[in-house]
Amino acid sequence: MAIDRRTLKVLANFCSAAADAMAFTLMRTAHSAFVKETEDFSCQVVTREGLAFANPRQFGAPWYSGIDYGPLLAMFDRYAEGDVAITNDPYSGFVATHSPDIHVWKPVFHQGRLACFVVGHIHNTDVGGAVPASLSRTLTEIEQEGLRIPPVKLMERGVLNPFIAALIRSNVRMPGQNLGDLQAQIASVNVGERKMQEIVRRFGFEDFIDGVHQILDYAEAQTRAILRRVPDGDYFFADYADEDSVNGRPCRIALTLKIRDDEAILDYTGSDPQLGSSLNMPTGGRERHPLVMVGLTYALFTLDNALMLNAGTLRPARAILPVGSVVNCTRPAAVGMRSLTCAMTQIVTIGAFAQALPDLMPAAAPGGNAIMNVKTTGRDGHTVMASIGPVGGGGGATPFGDGSDGAGGATGFLRNTPLEITEAEVPIRFLRYGLEPDTGAPGTWRGGLSAVMAFEVSAPETVVTARNRNRSIFPAWGVKGAHPGAVSRFVLNPGRPGERSLGNTDLVACGPGDVIHVVGPGAGGYGDPLRRAPASVLRDVRKGAVSRDRAERDYGVIIGDDGID
Amino acid sequence: MAYRIGVDVGGSFTDFAVLNAQTGELATLKVFSRPDAPGEEIRLALDTLKARDGLDPQDVRYFTHGTTVGVNTVLQRNGETLALFTTRNFEDVLDVARLKIPQIHNLYSVRPEPLISRDRVFGIGERTLATGEVLQAPDVADVAAAVAAARGAGCQGIVIAFLHAYRNPANERAVAQIIAGIAPDLAVVTSSATWPIIREYERTITAVISGYVQARVAHYLDRFERVLHDKGVSCPLLITKSNGGVMAIAEARNQCVQMILSGTASGVIGAGYLARGSGFDRIMSLDIGGTSADVAVILDGEAQYGVGEQIGDFQIHVPSVAVSSVGQGGGSIAWVDAYGVLQVGPHSAGSTPGPACYGRGGTRPTITDAMAAANLIGHMPLGYGAVTVDRAAARAAIAPLVGPLGATIEGIAGNIIEISVSGMYAEVSALTSRFAIDPREFHLFAFGGAGAMLACFLARELDMQGVVVPPTPGVVSALGGLIADLKNDFVRTIYCGVTETAIGSLGPVCDALEATARAWLEAQGHEGGAELRFSADMRYPGQSFEIETPLADAWLRPGDAAAIRSAFHDAHARLYGHSDPAAPVQMISLRLVIRGRTPKPALTPIPVATGPIEPRLRVEGWFDGQGHDTAVYHRQDFAAGHRCCGPAIIAQDDTTTVVPPGFAVRVDRFGNLVITRTEP
Repeated sequence: MAIDRRTLKVLANFCSAAADAMAFTLMRTAHSAFVKETEDFSCQVVTREGLAFANPRQFGAPWYSGIDYGPLLAMFDRYAEGDVAITNDPYSGFVATHSPDIHVWKPVFHQGRLACFVVGHIHNTDVGGAVPASLSRTLTEIEQEGLRIPPVKLMERGVLNPFIAALIRSNVRMPGQNLGDLQAQIASVNVGERKMQEIVRRFGFEDFIDGVHQILDYAEAQTRAILRRVPDGDYFFADYADEDSVNGRPCRIALTLKIRDDEAILDYTGSDPQLGSSLNMPTGGRERHPLVMVGLTYALFTLDNALMLNAGTLRPARAILPVGSVVNCTRPAAVGMRSLTCAMTQIVTIGAFAQALPDLMPAAAPGGNAIMNVKTTGRDGHTVMASIGPVGGGGGATPFGDGSDGAGGATGFLRNTPLEITEAEVPIRFLRYGLEPDTGAPGTWRGGLSAVMAFEVSAPETVVTARNRNRSIFPAWGVKGAHPGAVSRFVLNPGRPGERSLGNTDLVACGPGDVIHVVGPGAGGYGDPLRRAPASVLRDVRKGAVSRDRAERDYGVIIGDDGID
Repeated sequence: MAYRIGVDVGGSFTDFAVLNAQTGELATLKVFSRPDAPGEEIRLALDTLKARDGLDPQDVRYFTHGTTVGVNTVLQRNGETLALFTTRNFEDVLDVARLKIPQIHNLYSVRPEPLISRDRVFGIGERTLATGEVLQAPDVADVAAAVAAARGAGCQGIVIAFLHAYRNPANERAVAQIIAGIAPDLAVVTSSATWPIIREYERTITAVISGYVQARVAHYLDRFERVLHDKGVSCPLLITKSNGGVMAIAEARNQCVQMILSGTASGVIGAGYLARGSGFDRIMSLDIGGTSADVAVILDGEAQYGVGEQIGDFQIHVPSVAVSSVGQGGGSIAWVDAYGVLQVGPHSAGSTPGPACYGRGGTRPTITDAMAAANLIGHMPLGYGAVTVDRAAARAAIAPLVGPLGATIEGIAGNIIEISVSGMYAEVSALTSRFAIDPREFHLFAFGGAGAMLACFLARELDMQGVVVPPTPGVVSALGGLIADLKNDFVRTIYCGVTETAIGSLGPVCDALEATARAWLEAQGHEGGAELRFSADMRYPGQSFEIETPLADAWLRPGDAAAIRSAFHDAHARLYGHSDPAAPVQMISLRLVIRGRTPKPALTPIPVATGPIEPRLRVEGWFDGQGHDTAVYHRQDFAAGHRCCGPAIIAQDDTTTVVPPGFAVRVDRFGNLVITRTEP
């Protein structure tokens, strides 16, 4: 069946159903918590050239919708029916972005002809290396970050290469989990293959190939239409991650967004050289590497919610990524915590767009969304290790409303862990969880409030980790005269003798009676706070989002017992 | 005479299923709903039944009723002004929810406004630990201050949800008692009495929704009861529940959250009952109305159950029949986007103004209009004469798309149908992947106003066994209520390892659950026996979700932990494809379902055909953009054993069944249309 403007949506619906089926199969059969709880995985259907044209509609990490598997597909000259290839090496093909992300890809044939590939990755909890979970800011070389599997055929014509499984088993801390996840990935690409074969059969080979290109062209046309609404010009924006752990200096991410009619160039020249810590991004300088395009995808989707997300979406854009910089590191730079830096690239992209379209773009979410973990000894003597949830900032204020409280914008995709579950499993007692007043930046529209979490430790030798901490020095910026958000705080034993500010430390040793208090960074506001409607200030005061003091100081609104004075 | 009646009050129509308990005959009736004057549709229907069938209200022995009043209160956000009392320092539970925002790529996305705004949430100094130990009991003065503040904020009721109340409800009860003493006029709902599960947000939102809809539901039930009383119906009245069972009306006033999804649940129950009775063991029900298209999986006549069903912006966590939305119904609007590409939905004309072809003010082309323009519906009156189909209006609504798309009206109509079906295909495909079932082993059981209109198109894409259309697709929900059992769920959060010691100590918990359950069934006025089924929500330590695993009596009270673990390993393997028999297992909660069986009508065979079926007329129907000579049959002409071939249209009072080319129809002995593929 030939695809045209009347039937494009039919093919698109069918293909996204195949991607959905892959995602559900992965969610259902995977072993590790990352997959089920944080949905840190991806599934796509990609063209023979590697361009993603179908994504799951509700699941998976939101960073990879426009991924190009081209360099990985090209690692092999020939593919046969039943082949499955694998890699997690950030320096081979620049598709995998840190060692825990294990990618697989499988060709889909129709009557002996290659029609497309089904692909995907899972963030494995551990792939060996210097530290449990393989990730720490303190690591300095890729070799410390665990097993690296170069691109290799995991299966050839349906026959499993037993060496790969043996290699994994002898290099990781919880091999059962990795191998279980690998089985789930194989199940997922098999389901994808079957679904795609049905679809190719339904539409016919030639019409399918042609239709897929129309799907990519459609997304491209949407992006071009959005970019045409952005005035031509160069928009510069830079921001800083607080520090890199080796020398404590801030790390600068700079971007010049060049809009030329319906195209965008993201020039990262001016970003810092690669770091001695693991905050580097292994992009290989690829023009449309997913990690440097996340912010653009968010900006485009925000400007048009009907935008179809696939590799066509990114065609009108390209990035310039200086070699040896933090956004294009060279081996042997460590890359494990590239998510913190990726968050910064999103922030500067949104910042640059906010200059181009100040009436449409919000302030960015602050990033630095701390992933809190507790490792200790349980009542029965066993080791307990649990993720107790993210503690970050809210969403940036938008031109039309306040930012989302507690989490929002580009960091709003994670779920929290119920306190009752944590208290039942981990020997800690929560003292507070919720939203911290006066953290969302004052503006005509207020930045989202930060999350706050406080708990008391009751077991000896407890280690609290807070991965991704940031913004305890440089606050999140506001737009059009709004204030910046509050800085984040991480305090041991607040208000007690021995009180200590922990800054961006990501590892704290505690004992019984110690209290940990963490407040995420506040999000930036939008517009002059003195123009905020007094009734909105009053509502914020009544809700406890803003104190009376700050209402007076920041918004110029004096609130008495009976309302606005 | 003795009658049993099931009623489903929907947004547009109210359906009656009336069973003559002596003869086993089933009569049906459809009238317009009266959202402006609830109860009036019941009055009218009873009058009609008396005039038409000679039904005397005094002969009604059993009366069940399903309603959307609860869910509408949440959708329209016109419920009670409530206060929420939480543990102090945890007042933001509704604002934070589970943190994730609805649209993860949209920088404008924010979580929905809570049903209780933060200025009406009050922290109480109290604390219970995960073990159930009370660290701090509530203080009267503290509670009194919060009550005064709640009153000051204009609250009409108070929801109490404290940390770990699922484990020990003492503090919630103490506060409820204090409120009863100082403010007896305020309605109080506690999280522990509503649904005592672990996870503070889920338990809190469930209690909040229950409190939020309570006054409206109670008011509605009062009116309803008064109408029936006036009319002389004197039997006990029952309400259908989200869990597919029924409960006494008095209980519905207190346990509102249990009846929120009563309409959709009873449709699935009715479909399961009819399909099973006709010999179909594996079906997916497809219920398409004006504003929704829902699918449920039914195995051996049993609906599947889940928690976390969506009510507007929120989820409720009481056990409910699992139903997935697969589209927006016959009212979804077709349009051409800025790039010249044809799209269907997400906007819907709903039931008001409705499709253009219904002539009630709608002008934009909907899926129903595409069916009308393709000349596939409207050859007989629909909806008991309530609506007529204006094909010219449907064509006029599609005409503006002709220019931009460069195709004929009939061609575009075919594309609209194809796009909407591909959207449903994507949703159903996701559902089958989630449940790990293969649609090729299932029949699609179509009901609701538009289910039979689109079912064959969807079954074709999913390569299903076939389509089943029951004799009266419009009253499946009413019938579901009529045949539903008295049923209730009970839960205790246990949170223990599945070890010999821990399971051995569960005896008293089981006894207490069972005693509560039996008392409940007795209070519903049930006289027959009771069926009890224990199950447990279990998981491997560290997992964030549980699997409900049925437990045999022989395991629980004797403390056979090994058998319970093994049942969990098996369930895990079935659902996820793997298990870890060496790993420890945690039991998070123990559940008990009690069921009091109610009498069911036997399905009655219809007369056997004595000759071939003849079409009433022939029309040119358009399928996939091609015109076909199409036979139009009237459903009432069919007898058991009749066969016909697509392309065909089968019209009846409450729906139209559309049979594309390549399908064949046979009528089984109960009058179901069984439609199967004849061509690949």
